[in-house]
Amino acid sequence: MNDRYSRQLLFSPIGEKGQSLIGRKHVLMIGAGALGSGNAEVLVRSGVGKLTIIDRDYVEASNLQRQQLYTEEDVKEKLPKAIAAKKRLMAINSEVEVVAIVADAVPSLLEDLVSEVDLILDATDNFETRMLLNDISQKHHIPWIYGACVGSFGMSLTIIPGVTPCLHCLLKKIPIQGMTCDTGGIIGPAVQMVIAHQTAEALKILVGDLDAIRTTFTSFDMWRNQYSNIKVAKIKDTGCLSCGEAPTYPFLQQENLTKTTVLCGRDTVQVRPSTAQQLDLQRLSQQMKVSGYDTKGNPYLLSIDLKPERVVIFQDGRALIHGTKDLAQARSIYQKLLG
Amino acid sequence: MNNVLFFAHLKDEVGAESLQIEAKGKSVLALKQVVHDTYGLSSIDSVMTAINEEFAEDDDVIQEGDTIAFIPPVSGG
Repeated sequence: MNDRYSRQLLFSPIGEKGQSLIGRKHVLMIGAGALGSGNAEVLVRSGVGKLTIIDRDYVEASNLQRQQLYTEEDVKEKLPKAIAAKKRLMAINSEVEVVAIVADAVPSLLEDLVSEVDLILDATDNFETRMLLNDISQKHHIPWIYGACVGSFGMSLTIIPGVTPCLHCLLKKIPIQGMTCDTGGIIGPAVQMVIAHQTAEALKILVGDLDAIRTTFTSFDMWRNQYSNIKVAKIKDTGCLSCGEAPTYPFLQQENLTKTTVLCGRDTVQVRPSTAQQLDLQRLSQQMKVSGYDTKGNPYLLSIDLKPERVVIFQDGRALIHGTKDLAQARSIYQKLLG
Repeated sequence: MNNVLFFAHLKDEVGAESLQIEAKGKSVLALKQVVHDTYGLSSIDSVMTAINEEFAEDDDVIQEGDTIAFIPPVSGG
C-alpha cells in the first residue's frame, strides 16, 4: 500500500523525511483505556515503527462508550485491553510492530523496556504511575506527554528532559486520588481533545520538530467552552528530585509503590504480589471449580464470582477485586483464594 | 481587586466560574487559605495555581489586577 501515507507526506512539516523518521521510532504507551485507545490508533495509522502497550486491565461494557478500539465481542471474551488493542491495531496497519504487555507498569518492567524507546505516552489513570513515568523519562532522557481528563475537562503537558519542567516540578506531591474521577464521569469529546493534543505533540517529537512543541500546560472544558494555556517555564525547579541538579528519582524506589491500589472510580482494588508470578490459570480454574466457585476465563485471566465481590486474576498474579474499595478486605479476599 | 478563576470540578464546588477577591499583597498560599475557609474547598492544597497565565508557587505574591486561576490536576485516562 504505497499510497498509504500520501496525505501525511503532503503535510510539509512531515514530508518524506519525517515519515521515514516516524517509521523508525518506538513509542511506549502506558495504559490502553480511553486515551490509550485513541493515541494508539493515531500513531499506528500514522505509521510509527513500533508501539509497545502496557495495560493491567481487561475490557468491560462500561468502556465501550469512549474506548474506541474495543468491541462487544472483546467484552464478552473479557480480553485484556492490551491484547484486544493489539488485535484491532494489527487489522488497521499490519506494517506496524505492536507489542502487548498485560501487566502493571512497575519500575523494573519499565527499566527493562525503555532502553530503545523514543517517546513515552501517558494513557494511565493515576498519578502514582505518572510520577513513575516522569522519573523514568528523566533518568533515561526520553520525552513523555502527560494527558488526563474527567467529565468534560481535559489537560496535557509535554515534558522534554533537560528542556521543560517535569511533572514533579508542577506537582510537589501526588494529588489525592479519587477526588476527581469518581464523581464527574467522562464524555468522549474530552477524551478525543486530549488525544488530539497528545498525538500532535507525539508526531512533532517523532519527526524531530522540537521548535513546534507546545511550551504551555493546556487545559479545556468541552462543555463550558473554556480553553487555557499556561506558561510553565518559570516553575522548573533546580532542586527537583526528579529533574533537578541532584536527582534521586524517588518514584523508582519500590518502597514508594503500594501493592494494593484503589482503581480510579471503579469500586475496585488491585492487589499485586511483591514479585511477578507465572500462574497456571487453567489448573487454578479447575481447582476453583472443584471447590465450588463460579469461574470463567480465557488464556489471560480467570474471573471468579464470589457474590457480591468478583475477582479477576491475571497470569502475573495480580488480581482485581471488584465490589470493594477496602484495601484490607481486598487483600484478605486475595489471600483466601491464592494463599 | 483580583479575578479568581476556578477550573473543572472546582467550579461546581465553589458554585461559580470566577470570583472577585481582594488578594493584593497576599501570597498564593494565603489566597488558597481564604478560598478554603470561605468556600470549603478541601482539595485546594493539591491544586495548581496560575497568575496571569503563568504557573505560580505558593510563596508568589499577588499584585493588584492579577488574574489567578486554580486548576485541579485530573487523573482520568
